[in-house]
Formats: sequence, C-alpha cells, structure tokens
Amino acid sequence: MNHNETINLLVAIGIMLLAGRLLGEFFRKLKMPLVVGELLAGICLGPSLLGKYFPQLNEVVFTTQGHVGLVLNGISTVSVIMLLFAAGMEVEFSVIRQQSKTALKTSFVGLISTLTLGYFSGNMLFPYFGDGAQSSQLVFSLFFATAMAITALPVIARTLMDLDLFKTKIGMIIIAAAMFDDVIGWILFSVVLGMMHSGTSSYEFLNTLGLTLLYAVVILTAGRILINKSLPWAQRNLSWPGGVLAFSLGFAFLGAAFTEKIGIHAIFGAFIMGIAIGDSAHLNEKTRDIIHQFITNIFAPLFFVFIGFKVDFIANFDLVLVLIVTGIAVVTKLLGAGLGALWGKLTVKQALAVGFGMNARGAMEIVLGLLALQAGLITLPLFVALVVMAVLTSILAGPMLKYLLTGEIKLSVKLSDILPVKEGE
Amino acid sequence: MSNIEKKAAYPFERIAVAVAFSPNTEAILAASKRLQDTFKAPLLFIHVGSHDQQQESYLNEQLQRFQLNGLGNEVVWETGDPVDKILEVCKARQVDLLVAGALEKESLLKYFLGSVARKLCRKAKCSILMLREPDLLSRPFERIVVEGSDNPKTVNTIEAAIYVAKAAHARMVDVIQEEDPGKLALIRSDAFTDNEADSNREKVLKHEKEKLDEILRCTDCGNLKVNIERLEGKPGFVITKYARDNKADLLVLNSPDTKLNVIDRVFPHDIEYALADLPCDLMIIHSRIDD
Repeated sequence: MNHNETINLLVAIGIMLLAGRLLGEFFRKLKMPLVVGELLAGICLGPSLLGKYFPQLNEVVFTTQGHVGLVLNGISTVSVIMLLFAAGMEVEFSVIRQQSKTALKTSFVGLISTLTLGYFSGNMLFPYFGDGAQSSQLVFSLFFATAMAITALPVIARTLMDLDLFKTKIGMIIIAAAMFDDVIGWILFSVVLGMMHSGTSSYEFLNTLGLTLLYAVVILTAGRILINKSLPWAQRNLSWPGGVLAFSLGFAFLGAAFTEKIGIHAIFGAFIMGIAIGDSAHLNEKTRDIIHQFITNIFAPLFFVFIGFKVDFIANFDLVLVLIVTGIAVVTKLLGAGLGALWGKLTVKQALAVGFGMNARGAMEIVLGLLALQAGLITLPLFVALVVMAVLTSILAGPMLKYLLTGEIKLSVKLSDILPVKEGE
Repeated sequence: MSNIEKKAAYPFERIAVAVAFSPNTEAILAASKRLQDTFKAPLLFIHVGSHDQQQESYLNEQLQRFQLNGLGNEVVWETGDPVDKILEVCKARQVDLLVAGALEKESLLKYFLGSVARKLCRKAKCSILMLREPDLLSRPFERIVVEGSDNPKTVNTIEAAIYVAKAAHARMVDVIQEEDPGKLALIRSDAFTDNEADSNREKVLKHEKEKLDEILRCTDCGNLKVNIERLEGKPGFVITKYARDNKADLLVLNSPDTKLNVIDRVFPHDIEYALADLPCDLMIIHSRIDD
C-alpha cells in the first residue's frame, strides 16, 4: 500500500466509525437498534448515495476495490468472526437447561415449526427469487429456513427489560428459546455453507453435518475442560485485561481457522468457541464486558458500515420482495414460536408475545444474509430484502410485546427522546 | 398429594443414614450421633446390598460404641439398586433428611457416570446432607453458607439453614446472592447506553435484594450473626468458591429445579458445581415445592 492509499484507508476507517456511531446513536434514541444507523451510514457513504454523486471519492476512499478495498474486506472478515464469537458468548446452555419442560417444548416445537415453514416458503420462492444465485433449490430452501429461525438476543433482552419482564418466567422462556434457536440456526447455516462448497449429494451433506457436529461436540466437551483449566491460569498470570482478551480472541481465531480449513465456514468455529469461553464459570463479568464492548463498538460498526460499500441498496430495493420476505418472516415466527408456546401450555396472548419477541432478527440476520450473498447463495435484491426484514422485525418486537402483555401501545417518539438532554433538566 | 409433599422442609423429625460398610462407616456413625444430638430426631440406618451375620454384628457393635442403639433408631436392610432403594425407603418412612458420606472429588469418569452419593443428591425428594470425607473427629457446623438466589425455593432453604444454624449453635451464617454475568451481559448489550444498562442492572439487583431482605426480615434469626454477600459469577460456582475460600463447615443449597442428567455435568450449573468439587459438607434443601 502506498502513502496515499494508507491515508485513504485511515480516513475511511475514521469516517466509518464516526458516521456509524453518530447515526447509530440517533436511531437508538428512536428506540431502534444501533445497527440501523450503522447500515444507513454505509448506505450514505457507499455506492447507493455518495458513490452516485461523488464517484471519484467512492473509488478511492469508501471502496471495495484495490488495496484499500482489500484491507477493508479483511477487516470485515475479522469483524464477522468476532461478531459470531460475541454471539456465541451470549448463549448459555445452563439457561436453556434450567428451563422447565414448558420452555423446552416451546423452544423445540417453535424451532421445528419455523424451520419447516421457512423451508417450504424457500422452496416456493426459489423459482421467482432464487434465480441468478448459484445455489440449488435444496440449499436455497435450507438457507431460507435458517434465515427465518435466527433471533436477535440483544433486541429481545432490551424489549424484555423495557417491559420489566427480563427476570420473569415468560422472559426466561423467550431468552432460552432464542438461544436454542441461535445454536441450531448457526449449525444449520454452517452446514448450508458447507454444502455450497462441497455439493449436495447425501454423502457430502452427511460429511459436512458430521464434521460440524463433531467440532461442536469436541469444543464443547474436551475444549471446555481445557478452557476451564487455562482461563484461571491466564487470569492469574497474565496482565489484565490484555491477557484474557488475547487468550479469548486467540482461541476464537484459531477455532475459526480450523473450521475454515476442514470445509465448514470460519464463523462456526468462532461461534462455538464463543459458547465454550462464554459459558466458563472462570470468565468474570468485567472481562466479558470488555470483550463485548471491544467487538460491538469497534468491529461491529465497521462491518455494518462496510456492507453499505458493497451493496447498492437503492438499486437493489424490490418492494414486492421486501413485503414477501417480511410477511413470511413474521408469519413463520409467529406460527412457529407461537405454536411452540401453545404446545408448552402458554395462553394465546402469551404465545403471541413469545412469537413477536422472537420475531426480532436484528444484526445477526444481516450477518447471515451477507455471508449467504458472498457464498453466492442469494442475489442482491434478496439480501436487501433480508436486511430490511431484519430491521422491521426488530422495530416491531417492542411495541407488539408491550401491547400483548400490557394492553398499551406506543409507537410515537417524542422530540425530547432524540434531542440531547441539557444538564439540570 | 401425599403427606410427605405437604410437609415443611424442617424441622428434621426423621433422619436416614446411608450405610455402605466402607472405610468411612465409623466416621459416618460418629457424625450421625452428632446429628441426632443436634436435631433430637430418630435415625434410620439404611444398608442396600447383600450382607451377612458378621456385618450385622459389626453394625450393632458400632451403634453401641457411638451410643446409637435404642433412642428410636432402626436399621433397615434392603437389596437392589442402592439409589432407588434408599430413596424408596426415605419416601415410605417420610424421612426429612438423608445423610450420606462422599468423596471431596471423584475421578472424571466416575463423576460423569455418577456415584451413589451424588446420584442421591440429584434424585432425592427429601433434603440431603453429604458429609465430605467424614472422620471420627467431630466437625460442628460453625460457619454456614446458604444460597440466597432469586428462586421460590430460597425462602425455605434460608429458613432451614437458620434452623440448622440455631440447632448446631453456629457462629455465623453467610447468605450469598449470586449475580449471573451471562444474564447481566444481555442487559449490557449495545442496545442500551451505559446509563441505561447500569440502571437496568440496578433495577434487577435491587428487586432481588428486596426479596432477600424480606425473607430475612420474616425469618427468626435469634442471636445469629447473618452476613449478606452479593457476588458476581455463575450461580453455584461462586457460592461453592466462597464456601471453600472462607472455610465454611456447611454449604446449604436449593434442590435442583429440573431433573439432572449427564448433560448437566457437561454444562454444569447450580448444585453441579458443588458436586464436582465439594468445598465442605453439603446440604441440599428439598422444599417440596413443585419442580
């Protein structure tokens, strides 16, 4: 990289972080996920807007081409691995295990129903919207099923907290079911990505599935024993927090490299490593918090802003497709998770609340969509539709849960919610 | 609902002792005598497995040695699966507390397969006291550590621990409130500003503290010194570590909320951390609330 390219890269990273944060905070004031603002920053800086009016700026600074583009692509790959590591750290098997049979039924029936409905919807959509992608109907349908099953734990946690339901029985059912969905969803997605590489014959499918499960089982059993022995050592003997941070992220990248090598996507290695490290009793809250802050405040914005550089959201926006995908997403989750909840003997209102709570797809759906786009599984318009669906379902979760559980509905936002509050007010 | 299900977790009106003719038998009997003197309850010695005249005479001799014969005490001889039989007898005889000896730590394989004592802890429908590697020297319960988690069972567990502490003339009771970092981390997610996250966290913790204060206000602690600690960490792990670090004599925990199996040993939670490496004697209070 020459002198000018270095400057361009640093300018790009600086503006990406600043624009992502400022717009993210604006949307947070509107009670929307931070990721909405970060995506919008990317859309503004990328080919959708800035690229249209100042193409020369877009070619050298906010670019996916040349050396600068290569480095930004590398940062994006590292970011997605870290994001999946952080998502893994949010999963607690003990929370799932501690739930009553009701919660387990809710999770299991909900997931199976969502996956089935998603699979058949994908099958029906393939002739219309799968065209142009490099995937077969089976792989496309499996991907679509997974995309419908993914949930957004942070969005759900925020909604439950706002409604004072976080520590209640129904709150924990929703959290446990969402964690369960995420684990199965990411395993399935890894298999789907593996099938894109290796083909769709039953031998190759079983081979990918077998490797995926084997990696998960080894890391979550023998790997956890090793982590539980070495983490206290790292906390005792290495400087804090640098030592544990390097230790945790080092394992995450090694896990990611290993899974990439054996033909499963790198994200899966990081996700499972995140579960193994996050579930360790030896990881204290401060360390957990630092890892989380480091990833979500530096790497997540870079990743989501960079999406805007890669995709022209305006040119690829297809209203019909957006409505269809969002409609299917809401219906599959409401029916799927709702059926699970009814099966688990919750009331109709509570079941709908579970459905809407889990309907939020959030940032992880966007990660999933981008990886699918990069793998040639889906086309650009479908990716844009998935992003819009992820944003809409996340926004919908809060007001709907509030309405169903308290009978109140509040969709308006006061100006004072957005404007900064002066000291003493 | 049977009578036993209506019964409160304490007082311990009938205590059963699992006897296995192991090198620990004499130490278990010595501890049984101390427990009988403390709780003034008749003892039921249960042995499961084949036995001969020699073993019977040995047990009678030892009961005499520790002044355990008479006093309403009985010996029950059974055959079959030790865990199932012991629990069957406990249910039939409306036992309030089952006592068994256990190793501090078991080999990895044995831990995953499950020893008799640990299986009893996971399956018992009455309260259970695991004596960690008992010896002939009396080890009174001077310092008792008890779980103060946000769980409907906690009120019974704390009351039972206070009852034990008063009966055993304990010096101090530590009530431990554990904060699960995983759940709190969700509150700290990027969906919140720092101030929001802190206030949410305080809201959750304040609510839990108020509940615990209410339990302690309603429990007659007499002259006991009660210390409340709020600790960060995985529930079960952090209280076990606290009991070990503070050289507690007895750790009192809630009974498990769900049926435990090998998956709970792979992904441990709550009492599994204590069972993996006993920090001291362990008492699990079965509050007889629906699981």
